Amino acid sequence: MSEPREPLRRIVVAGSGQVALLSAIALRRALPTTEVVLLAVAPQGPAFADFAATSLPFTASLHDRLGIDEERMIATAGASHRLSTRYFGWSSHDQRGVFAHGGWTGRAMRARFGRDWGGGPKIAGGERPAGSLAEVLTDAGRFALPPADRETPLSLIEYALRWNPPAYRTLLVERARQLGIGHVQAPIETIERDGAGGITGLNIQGQGWLEADLFVDCSGPAAVLASALPGFATVDWSTSLPTRRVFIAAGAEPMIALEDRITLLDEGWLIEQAGRDGLLTILGVGEGTSEQAAIAALGKDPVAVMPVSPGSVAEPWQGNVIALGDASAQFEPLANLNLDLAHRQLDLLLEMLPGREIEPLERAEYNRRAGLMMDRTRDLLAFHYATPRARRVFGEVEVPEAVQTALDQFVRRGRMPFHEESALLREEEMDLLGALGFERQMSPQEGASDPEGIEAGEAEFAALARRALEAAPPYAEWIAAVTQPS
Amino acid sequence: MDRPAPLKVVVLGGGTAGWMTAASLAKLLPDRASVDLIESEDIGIIGVGEATLPHIRGFVERLGIREAEFMKATHATYKLGIDFRDFGRIGESYIHPFGSFGEELAGVGFHHYWLELQRRGQAAPLGEYSLCVAAALANRFQPPSRDLSLSSTYGYAYQFDATLFGPFMREFGQSVGVTRHEGLVTNVERNGDTGDVTALVLKDGRRIEGDLFVDCSGFRSLLLGQELGEEWEDWSHWLPCDRAAAMPCTHATEDIRPYTTATAMPAGWRWQIPLQHRMGNGYVFSSAFLDEETACEAIRDAAEGEPLADPRVLRFRPGRRRRSWSHNVVGVGLASGFLEPLESTSIYLAQMAITYLIELFPEAGGIEPADRDAFNRLVDMEYDRVRDFLILHYHATTRDDSEFWNHVRTMRVPDSLSDKLQLWRETGRIEKYSDGLFFDASWIAVYVGQGWLPQRHDSRTGMVDPERLKAAADRLRREIASEVSRMPGHREYLERETSRLAEAS
Repeated sequence: MSEPREPLRRIVVAGSGQVALLSAIALRRALPTTEVVLLAVAPQGPAFADFAATSLPFTASLHDRLGIDEERMIATAGASHRLSTRYFGWSSHDQRGVFAHGGWTGRAMRARFGRDWGGGPKIAGGERPAGSLAEVLTDAGRFALPPADRETPLSLIEYALRWNPPAYRTLLVERARQLGIGHVQAPIETIERDGAGGITGLNIQGQGWLEADLFVDCSGPAAVLASALPGFATVDWSTSLPTRRVFIAAGAEPMIALEDRITLLDEGWLIEQAGRDGLLTILGVGEGTSEQAAIAALGKDPVAVMPVSPGSVAEPWQGNVIALGDASAQFEPLANLNLDLAHRQLDLLLEMLPGREIEPLERAEYNRRAGLMMDRTRDLLAFHYATPRARRVFGEVEVPEAVQTALDQFVRRGRMPFHEESALLREEEMDLLGALGFERQMSPQEGASDPEGIEAGEAEFAALARRALEAAPPYAEWIAAVTQPS
Repeated sequence: MDRPAPLKVVVLGGGTAGWMTAASLAKLLPDRASVDLIESEDIGIIGVGEATLPHIRGFVERLGIREAEFMKATHATYKLGIDFRDFGRIGESYIHPFGSFGEELAGVGFHHYWLELQRRGQAAPLGEYSLCVAAALANRFQPPSRDLSLSSTYGYAYQFDATLFGPFMREFGQSVGVTRHEGLVTNVERNGDTGDVTALVLKDGRRIEGDLFVDCSGFRSLLLGQELGEEWEDWSHWLPCDRAAAMPCTHATEDIRPYTTATAMPAGWRWQIPLQHRMGNGYVFSSAFLDEETACEAIRDAAEGEPLADPRVLRFRPGRRRRSWSHNVVGVGLASGFLEPLESTSIYLAQMAITYLIELFPEAGGIEPADRDAFNRLVDMEYDRVRDFLILHYHATTRDDSEFWNHVRTMRVPDSLSDKLQLWRETGRIEKYSDGLFFDASWIAVYVGQGWLPQRHDSRTGMVDPERLKAAADRLRREIASEVSRMPGHREYLERETSRLAEAS
């Protein structure tokens, strides 16, 4: 007879950023009889997941499940929607491409892409028809959240949210309070290890002894709890990810756009992230770029400069301590992957929530899957540095084997090998490589698709695009309407 | 656009795998491949795989074949899953459905709640929370809906006459341009430098040249095994069944079951596969534990209808080639690997290899080693996952009534499987993957069905109000029962769909 596992009595979540807060909220909701204590360790150093002002579409679904209301985020946390990201200059100076959340639409459309754009040298810089609904809407600047009660073409759209981090954090703090999450704000004096690879409890300055069955380390790159364990080991990613410093500047003028932009400059990469509080610009540079040159490329004075030393924790769950987000992996904020990784790890933890007694094999299974997530995140970044121009800007770096294989298969065979636990759908991965300017050969089947089928597919897509445009108001008008104080 | 000359593909073998391969390549890569197929009337066809998995529907559809036409030609019935009897313990049975059990609640899988209900003595058998299982046991069928309602929670496959499927694919293949050669291969010509196969020479002297050879010669594996000597990885220590005694019978009942039955036997198991006009029967057994004659007697005794032929013994061995693509030879079907038909995977495994071959079909410039490696990795992953899942059926048992069951119960299983078993035992969790075959619901069906319950389940199940949990579970059962009561009988549905029916023979 199977017995329910004895529930965790207390969970300590270390950290005070948006990752820690959402983790505490999620755990509290999942385990109503468990005491959840937030130990407010301020994130130190380049905590890109904690400071992120955006993520990937997965976050929207996680928020939905955790009762973080999107309409409230729009109303009070400056939230806006991103449907796609334009890439400029990655394979060559004048090359550009689009990465759309959700990837390409329809097999017939892909076939046409293979024929028109994947198969020849003519792709660089050329105009091309939109390949997805997201792109059509981005080009037209039209979008609105689809109605909840019926399907419209807009229901097919995958989007990511951007927001104002302090306002979002306030919203999470409020929610955490409502849920009765405990709060301790004082330095850790000592960490008592349990002899089984984990932690018994913490001595907190002025507060005394704090013990727990499970510790979730969201304390940022310092990983204050996880790094104190005997089994803590890291994996260096710096040989394949050459960005070493990140310069951040913020604009004051609101900017409503359905797209963000990532441009490769001679100095490094530059992200222009639209937002209702203003345009956020982030420049990432390698060792070869001076501070002066970087600031000139950024175009304004940075509000922050952060070092990047990319790498991951070999096994993020040790004993009864789980490192999440920045505490488990550090890397540049290049493709909106930082917070996405934290949120997918949190989701994995929720799926695999242990009881008081943690079984070694569940730890191993968590570490296996979280490891796949982290490795694939590194690979998605590495694709950027494998482009011809990035190799000149950042210098030659070690290309991870999975990236070499994928690029070979994509360029030569028009396919993308499947990877478990990727941040992106396989379609999106292919879309990303296209946006980076990798030219894709037609797959054998696309080459053999019959012209009539392709035409029918195109006509179908055109009709769908028309309906989507009809259903979508200009996005700026829609935002203005929904944020008007009533 | 300039098109390179098509690659000349020679398929060796006219069985199920051979004609599936030839027809697919000719239909889906008309400009890239010209396809020749060599078969001989002197060589018997095993015709494995009377029962299939839902993937076969995609295969038929992609080739542009109408489902009704296909079902009529192969005397096909619908299949909702497999009924496993006496595997965990004599007298117990369960259905492994092409469908799910209940619904996840607050991020916790339904089976955890079921385990909790069971602990409280409030659970009905797990299958009662699956529409697919309930419909199967009621001998009812209708195609699933396409919305998100309860009636969309299952898929279906077919049970068909394998001896008709091959000829159907042959006719289709020839209609889409496959050139058929009748004859026995007596010599294989190879390039002295590269070792690649260049031509197959037939007994009457004809010489069939090719760029790419697909070995569908069955267990003989004439090219991959005999000619290229690709090493065979033997799995018979885990899967000791190596024979089948097959015997068709008439239907013994008015109903046609929309599922395949697998009944454990003292030295293996026997199948019952209902087709439109007859029942396929066979005893899959291990020759180390049972002789052929006794097995034939056993299947005669066990079969329920009137025998339509004498038992015929097939021999096989479980395992796979270490490389299914070597030089310019690709093995598809038994020439590349074999796993016994316990989970109806044979046709799937051929289809899978064909799909990957099309994705990685050589370019005009020749075969890239990277593509060959990619193919071999994918094929290995698929075979290995199926292998572990099959071993589970034998190992998760309490049976100690025969030498055979004592062996499989106590044998050491692959590490990849023992970790899965232990994770399940301790936490009720399933190792997760989303590529290949057999996901969570399949593992849960077998674990629970064979009485292999975990020791502990998710703590969150204990936090739901017991009354509400029971009420929700009971409601689901009622909804399922009511849905099933509205479905037509399987035979009734088939008979209404006259375009799918073959003439009574």
